[in-house]
Amino acid sequence: MASPSEPGNRPDEPLDLVRLCLDEIVFVKLRGDRELKGRLHAYDSHCNVVLGEVEETIYKFEEDDEDAEPVTIKKQSEMLFVRGDSVVLISPNPPS
Amino acid sequence: MSFFGFNDRGHRQDAPGFSQPRDAFAGIPSRGLADEAEVLDFEETYDGLGDQLEESGDAFNDDTFGEERLTQQSIGKDFDFSGQTGGVSRAIEEERMRFAAQKAPARLAPKPASPPRKATKPAKTGYEGFIPQLQADANLWGIGPKRAPERAGPSGYQAAAFSSHATPSPAQPSAAAPPPARKILSVEEVEAFMRAESQQSAPPPVPVHQTPSYPQHMPEQHHFMPHQPPQQPPQQPPQQTPQQPPQQPPQQHPGFAFPSLQQHGHRQPQIHAQPTPPPQPTVFSHPPQILQRPHPPPGSQQPPAAARQPELPSQGFPPQPQHPQILQRPRPSSQVEQSAQRHTPAPQPRQILQNPNRLSGHGQSGPPVPQPYQRMPEGPRIPTGPAHQRGPSYQGPIITNPQQILQLSDEDRLAFMEEDSKRAKRNHKIYLLSKDNGLMTPQDKNFITRIQLQQLVTATGTVESNDMESVLNEDFYYQVYSQIRGAPRHDPHQPANQFAQTYLFQTGGRFAGRRNARGVDNHMQRMEQQVQRAVEAARAKPKNKQLVIEGSLGKISFSNAKTPKPLLNIRRNDSNSHPHHPVRRPSRVHDAAAERRVVLRNIETLYNSVMEMEDHERQMPPPLTDTSDSATVQQHLEWREKMQILNQRIWADLKVLEPFIQNSPTLHPFVAILSHPKGKKVMPRVFRHIDEQQRVTTLTMIVAHLDSLDVIAYALHDASAPAPLAVREEIELFAQAVMPCLFRSVNEAPLNIIAGVLGLVTERTTVSAIVCTKIGVSILTMLVSRAELLKPTPSADSAAHAEWEQWTETFNRLFDAAEPALPFVFPGTVLNADDVHVWQFLAAMGAASNPEQQQRLVMGVKNRVMETVRMGRTLPADMAAVRLGHVNLFMHAIGLDVDLLVG
Repeated sequence: MASPSEPGNRPDEPLDLVRLCLDEIVFVKLRGDRELKGRLHAYDSHCNVVLGEVEETIYKFEEDDEDAEPVTIKKQSEMLFVRGDSVVLISPNPPS
Repeated sequence: MSFFGFNDRGHRQDAPGFSQPRDAFAGIPSRGLADEAEVLDFEETYDGLGDQLEESGDAFNDDTFGEERLTQQSIGKDFDFSGQTGGVSRAIEEERMRFAAQKAPARLAPKPASPPRKATKPAKTGYEGFIPQLQADANLWGIGPKRAPERAGPSGYQAAAFSSHATPSPAQPSAAAPPPARKILSVEEVEAFMRAESQQSAPPPVPVHQTPSYPQHMPEQHHFMPHQPPQQPPQQPPQQTPQQPPQQPPQQHPGFAFPSLQQHGHRQPQIHAQPTPPPQPTVFSHPPQILQRPHPPPGSQQPPAAARQPELPSQGFPPQPQHPQILQRPRPSSQVEQSAQRHTPAPQPRQILQNPNRLSGHGQSGPPVPQPYQRMPEGPRIPTGPAHQRGPSYQGPIITNPQQILQLSDEDRLAFMEEDSKRAKRNHKIYLLSKDNGLMTPQDKNFITRIQLQQLVTATGTVESNDMESVLNEDFYYQVYSQIRGAPRHDPHQPANQFAQTYLFQTGGRFAGRRNARGVDNHMQRMEQQVQRAVEAARAKPKNKQLVIEGSLGKISFSNAKTPKPLLNIRRNDSNSHPHHPVRRPSRVHDAAAERRVVLRNIETLYNSVMEMEDHERQMPPPLTDTSDSATVQQHLEWREKMQILNQRIWADLKVLEPFIQNSPTLHPFVAILSHPKGKKVMPRVFRHIDEQQRVTTLTMIVAHLDSLDVIAYALHDASAPAPLAVREEIELFAQAVMPCLFRSVNEAPLNIIAGVLGLVTERTTVSAIVCTKIGVSILTMLVSRAELLKPTPSADSAAHAEWEQWTETFNRLFDAAEPALPFVFPGTVLNADDVHVWQFLAAMGAASNPEQQQRLVMGVKNRVMETVRMGRTLPADMAAVRLGHVNLFMHAIGLDVDLLVG
């Protein structure tokens, strides 16, 4: 979380947009064909995020058959820590 | 006795000794003997132009020629052995001539007096008489003193004659009386002597002795005429004895005087080589004139000198090859030759630079050299060198021959000589600088130029800093340039254009004449195109440094060399005062995402303020006591002040007092905050830091917007479709986070406020809908129950009773509004156990109702009561007890008990 002192003196930066999503349901896309949807509890400048009530979706592609539909695996987690280097995007509007 | 026409009178006394090298030119002129008779009587050819010359204007010669004295003087002469030796050899020569001159006939009658120069040419031209002046002039140039030590050289017997005119200079004493035994000095001796002399006389009392190498070069000229001593005029010694200052200054002006001397020196021998006599006289005559020019006319000598001058231009002057190498050969002594050879490299470049044509004439004998006399009338046509065309100060005709100088007015002459000396210096400098010429090809230069241009064109950053130094460090060359131009740049783009265009123009003009080279042309064209493009690009650039695109997160800014483009320049908003208010535009099309962002941002701002407040709270100074010192008191005061400021900020961020816009598609900011989970969560923390009045205001605000609250608007339920999970969570959260705050506020509020708030509910909201929601029911319960506690005792004053009357009235309206919805106040079916809040509400209502209202109340909820009781029988005992307990809340409120129904 941001420092409680002098918040108004900081210029807006991209992560301030992420800040608006705190405690909201966010959609996080990760490397390796993974997607997360959950409530954003915390983040930092590295895009490390802590998500609650997470639904994780993993898309697995068959290597030999490119046209085949990816296999989708869903997992539920009560709380997840996601390391920032795997985060591709954070969206406040989860795709329905 | 005569062989080959030689004079058989024996060896002439004045002729060079046998030991001396033969004069290479001595015999050549004899070929012109045949024409001699018909040619050149001076008096005949003289046209009298010399009389027109103004000869009295030499008063300023000192000023003209003395300017560089000190500079020349400061140059040490230790190194210049060759120059010294040259002076010595010339002195030797002069001594001999002077000796001969003593016996020679008077100069005014040159023709009869002149004996045959050699046996081969007894009567040459009649102009030989003027030639001896060359020697005399050389003395006048100030070299005279130098020869003093060596005068005892080949002709030591002339010492007496020499001393008569050479002694005046103060530096002489050491050399004035050289030991007679020293006949000829070797180079080593001369050098040693000079060294000793320079040590003795350092600093020399008279600058004349510090003759630099340039003037010392002049003695060479005299060796071209070694065979003419007899013509030495007797007046010469007296001329020199006065030692007029003008004698010396010419030394200081190598630029003018020296080249002219060289010219003569080279040209004179040509005459000897020429078979055609007619032009000869001019050549012979003019050198002396030049040399004499600086002297004030000493009487008798002057008329001839003046008379001779004008005739020269009139004479035709056929092209003649020049033979400098040959000229240098006939030096009488080996010392001279050595010194001269060491000598020549230095002055040579000067000549070359001064007049390239002369150089071309030097080394070769083929192409004829254009003659100065022919050139003179054509003036500007002569492209002898760039230096000739420049020079703003001298506007007279181009002077290519020293002879012309004599014909100029004094002013022009002064100007010309200044110009000439300047030019000589410049040419020397150019020569020094020209060593590195040609290192870069035109392509290289163009490449560099283009790089610089590009930088200049793109360097359009504004110079706002007053720090001149940093500005200079930044782009030095442009700053200097703009200063020279005197055009401070106001617009960053304008000067670049100006400069680019100027540069373009200049280079275009400069290279306009040499379009021959294709490569150069190509580069120039490319460069010009580049400049054009750059200029156009600079023009096309928007004047603003930033471009803000609507809806974008930041600004697009343009870069230049001074201010590189910031990759992201996000506008910073002032979150201390209404930070996001400008973004909220009522007239704007409703944008859900934007609204949502605004609300989220408001929430974050509120969180920031709250956290800051909490942080500040932790920094509370130690509690005040009676013994607290002033510092602690001061700390407390400041702390409280800050606290107040933060409180105001929180209150502003809470946006409770934002104006409410009727029928607005957007929620009231405060209600919007409450519609988010984190907005609800922050309420308890906010309520801790706001005072009672603010809390009540907040409560009033919530109640007034009950309809808009998400926990009410989305919680409207019917029996068949319970509210979705998200809504239920919101309701839970609101009940846990916000309701306690409101409850606390209500519990502290007086009756009139409760009545007012309840009045708001009945007036502004749809009570029948509110009572069907958990939160709405809870709030109503809270208000009604609080009012019941505040019911005035019979002993209370009339004011309290009046308030109570008002309250009762409000309650009645509420009851009337809620009564139709009573059958639907219970959520879901009877199976839904989550209905305790409804029972509580019913209990509060029942307690506050009068008997008639209680009757209506029971009628409204009778079905639910009966169902619950019936279901209680089917449930396990503990659960049944809970459910029945809930029902009893209501039953007890109206004086009944569920047991009555069960039983």
